[in-house]
Amino acid sequence: MTNAAHATALTKVYGSGDTRVTALDSVDVEIETGRFTAIMGPSGSGKSTLMHCLAGLDFISDGRVWIGDVELSGLSDKNLTKLRRDAVGFVFQAFNLVPTLTALENITLPLDIAGRKPDQAWLDTVIDTVGLRDRLKHRPSELSGGQQQRVACARALASRPTIVFADEPTGNLDSRSGAEVLGFLRRSVDEFGQTIVMVTHDPGAASYADRVLFLADGRIVDEMHGPTADLVLERMKAFEAGRS
Amino acid sequence: MLRAALRSLLQHKLRLSLTLLAVVVGVAFVAGTYIFTDSLKRSFDALFSAPQPDVSISVDTGFNQQGGGGGGGGAAAGDQAATLPQSLVATVSKVSGVAAAYGVVSADGALVIGKDGKVVGQNGPPARGSTYVADTAISAIALASGSAPVGPDQVVLLESTATSAGVSIGDSVRIDTPGGTVRPIVVGLATRGISGSDGSTLALFDLPTAQKLMLRKADVVTGVVVRADPGVSQDSLKATLTPLLPANARALTGTQRSADIADRLSTAFQFINVFLLTFAFIALFVAIFLIFNTFSMLVAQRTRELALLRAVGASRAQVRRSVLAEATVLGLIAAVLGVLGGIGVSQGLRLLLRGFGADLPSGPLVIEPRTIVVSLVVGVLVTLVSAYVPARRAAIVPPVAAMRDEITLPNRSLIVRTVSGSVLLLLAFLLARVALSTLDDGTRAAQLAGLSALCALIAVIALAPMLGRGALFVMGWPFSGSAIGRLARENGRRNPRRTAATSSALAIGLALMTTIGVIASSTKASVADVIDTTIGADFVVFGAKFQPFSPDVYRSVKDTAGTSAVTYVRQIPIKVGTEQSVLTGVETDVFPRVVDLTMQSGTISGIGLGQVVVDDKTAATLKLKVGDTVPATFVNGASSLVLKGVYTQAGPYTGWITSIPTLMSIGARELDSAVYVKVAPAGDVGAVRVSLDAALADTPTVKLQDQASLKDQINGQFDRVFGFIYALLALAVIVAFLGIVNTLALSVHERRREVGLLRAVGTSRPQIRRMVVLEAVLISLFGAAIGVALGLVYGSLLQKVLEPQGITKLAVPGGQILWFLALSVVGGVVAALWPAFTASRLDVLKAIASE
Ligand SMILES: Nc1ncnc2c1ncn2[C@@H]1O[C@H](COP(=O)(O)OP(=O)(O)O)[C@@H](O)[C@H]1O
Ligand SMILES: [Mg+2]
Repeated sequence: MTNAAHATALTKVYGSGDTRVTALDSVDVEIETGRFTAIMGPSGSGKSTLMHCLAGLDFISDGRVWIGDVELSGLSDKNLTKLRRDAVGFVFQAFNLVPTLTALENITLPLDIAGRKPDQAWLDTVIDTVGLRDRLKHRPSELSGGQQQRVACARALASRPTIVFADEPTGNLDSRSGAEVLGFLRRSVDEFGQTIVMVTHDPGAASYADRVLFLADGRIVDEMHGPTADLVLERMKAFEAGRS
Repeated sequence: MLRAALRSLLQHKLRLSLTLLAVVVGVAFVAGTYIFTDSLKRSFDALFSAPQPDVSISVDTGFNQQGGGGGGGGAAAGDQAATLPQSLVATVSKVSGVAAAYGVVSADGALVIGKDGKVVGQNGPPARGSTYVADTAISAIALASGSAPVGPDQVVLLESTATSAGVSIGDSVRIDTPGGTVRPIVVGLATRGISGSDGSTLALFDLPTAQKLMLRKADVVTGVVVRADPGVSQDSLKATLTPLLPANARALTGTQRSADIADRLSTAFQFINVFLLTFAFIALFVAIFLIFNTFSMLVAQRTRELALLRAVGASRAQVRRSVLAEATVLGLIAAVLGVLGGIGVSQGLRLLLRGFGADLPSGPLVIEPRTIVVSLVVGVLVTLVSAYVPARRAAIVPPVAAMRDEITLPNRSLIVRTVSGSVLLLLAFLLARVALSTLDDGTRAAQLAGLSALCALIAVIALAPMLGRGALFVMGWPFSGSAIGRLARENGRRNPRRTAATSSALAIGLALMTTIGVIASSTKASVADVIDTTIGADFVVFGAKFQPFSPDVYRSVKDTAGTSAVTYVRQIPIKVGTEQSVLTGVETDVFPRVVDLTMQSGTISGIGLGQVVVDDKTAATLKLKVGDTVPATFVNGASSLVLKGVYTQAGPYTGWITSIPTLMSIGARELDSAVYVKVAPAGDVGAVRVSLDAALADTPTVKLQDQASLKDQINGQFDRVFGFIYALLALAVIVAFLGIVNTLALSVHERRREVGLLRAVGTSRPQIRRMVVLEAVLISLFGAAIGVALGLVYGSLLQKVLEPQGITKLAVPGGQILWFLALSVVGGVVAALWPAFTASRLDVLKAIASE
């Protein structure tokens, strides 16, 4: 099995001296192609930092990171930007959409920026999968939170990226909308072979993944395959107990 | 609450600094204007401390200092020295209480020729030839060095005149006077107490020489100055002298003369002051838009904070006051900096005026308390007025907004603005129509046109948000193919009020620039038109300073081979009723061949002794018809003239025209104001020019012009005036561009999360920069477009209103307007540089981090 992304001895340090925080402490991680990976851990454990470093949004302090075959360290801002545009999709917790653009324009934004024509058949497939065909002309302010996140998911997939990163994509949603978004992410893995990395602290959300990585104090402390909500919750409780 | 206001000011200091700068620029202009005029006034104080005659006697001509219009093709109003018999000096001397009386001569037309062979001094200010009065107790003009002039071969020059001429004591200097060319020795240099030079020159002779050279008569003077015996009051001496004077003379005490001069100066300073302040207030008006935008955006950004204040119990009034307190502090700081900046501006104005040809006397900087008070009040008031609406908006933020996650102030509808804007626009249109139908009444038409312009300006400002959405959509069309282009366009359109306020500021500046541009090019076109259609002569000789010149000039060119007509004209001031104008004497049989006036009745060649023709405007004003007898007064008396014809006024060809014998019988000095030369049909223009140049080679006091050079010279003078106005308006335009910088910087800050998102999904830094720059270009182009449109409409209207003043042709300066638009694009790009750079450097992670 190939890796869509992997990192070795990934270390990220914020600040210096008294305010020095080691957010990631020599992390080795492999994200397998065509699978849905969840990253779990308590607040402040380094989940977002790990995602940002893997996605080329943040510079790393030490170690090495690859997306596909491309190593990120040493890439200029220009090349990193191009890599994000062409090979990475993003879904953030909030503020995912440009308010002046319609839903459709938001979906095709990375392609438009690159000056590329979208693959119409693929675009139709993605739009139908997220079920937004009748909302394409709407502005984000005219969409519900769930619909907005589904537009964000569609955007992340539209350019057929190597890998999609989602940081707490359901954090701001009610459980029904959350389930719709998670269901959609799951289907894109099953039906289109998309690689997805999702950061979450919700065991229910993690149960949609194929594999869960557990993060604590900047280290990967455990890993679970074929998770269920109950199993994940139990494992989390065990950590909490172990820490205290 | 004040503490909260201060803290907020400090927090936003970078964003406020541009706002501050706009107020500073405006206030500095106001303060600088006052400092400039006060200092100028102070530098003239020396005039009043200088000694002067206890009583001076002069002719009361009843004419203004400046003669009527400039008849005869641009020459200054004609010349006729008002004189008194010299016997009056003896009469006055004998009066008891008179210690001494001196006959004096003072007349225009003593042209000092510099070492370089050119006439010293500038066009306009007089080149005076006068008597030197050696009695230092009453002479305002004092010898700085050398001795008094004695006899026909000695002259004393004003120091500044000598410096410009490049001569010093002991040198001989050429002076061309009505009495001929002389080359006296400079025996002394004089000062009149004030430094600098207003462009005028002064040559001082003894009395007989001055009489011979300036008046060409030995027995007349232009005035008598008197020193009183000790103990005799000026007033009582004046009372004693008055009954002895001829009917056309009047006596003035020294005190009265000082008051007269002070009066004239103060009127002049008042004019300069108001003129400059107008431009300062235009800049401040533009600044209001900038301040308004800043406070609106700060309030919008701080909605949560304000709501929190409300939630913990602050009243609406308190919230409002806290925003206004912020504005007050800002206004105060700006005003103080503005006063300091005013010192620089006053020096700048001096330099600017020098650049346009006025070398002003220098003196100490005068900062009156009034200057500081006005500056502080203006600075604070402008800021408060601009912040008032945003402050009100801040006060209506509901407390619950503190608890909400996403806060958006409701987007108020534009209906009120659109409706009131449309009503105003209609009003402007109606006013303009009324103005066009009352063109006969120039003042009224001008007032109506001004009112219409004001309505239209406010209407456009009110309609700008509505117009802007559409206009930006259309203007952004060429860029809508790319995602960046669409984003830029939508960013410009998303907050129509903000875009509108930013563009309106620029629109005001450009509307004024364009109006001036239309008037400038129309004026030039009208002049060119008159020259093309009216002047039939191939060459015209004018005084180098448009002053009258010796008839020798005519004599030396009249027999030039290859010419078919050579003729001269002379002018004197004339007054009919209360209408002061110019009486031009012409050779009636030749003049119509060189100047083609359209006669509505009668002919010029038919006028004889005591007969005149007049232009249609004057005839209409005075309700005259052919055959009427016209009672006219002159500098030296009165006469009755018979009207024999009416011609259509053509630019400078206006006023009364008569025959040379009539003019001389009234008593004109023997000086010509223009000589016209027409080349024979078979003649060679080039050869004639060579002959004329040769004939005039030794006469630097006149200038040979052909039609093209005449146009160039007149256009050059207009260019200087309009250039000065452009320079002053530029300040308002600069403030408007500061506004664009400010709006963009605040917008970028407001949209930093959006920019971060764009960066995260793969937008490159250059693309972000392009997006911001494009938005700026669209905003400034929109402002420029409505400004230019307004300026074109009102420039054309103004031309119609000014048609009776001789601006008969409408000319739109197309090239210039394209330049305005191009410079607006450049300005937009420059304004966007810093905000675009900031935007492209935003930290992606910080921008997308959820708060
Ligand atoms: N920009 C930053 N500067 C300093 N410390 C940071 C920064 N971002 C994150 N951290 C620290 O790094 C650690 C990991 O943060 P984060 O990755 O956001 O955790 P999580 O997403 O799991 O809640 C925390 O201790 C946090 O305080
Ligand atoms: Mg996080």
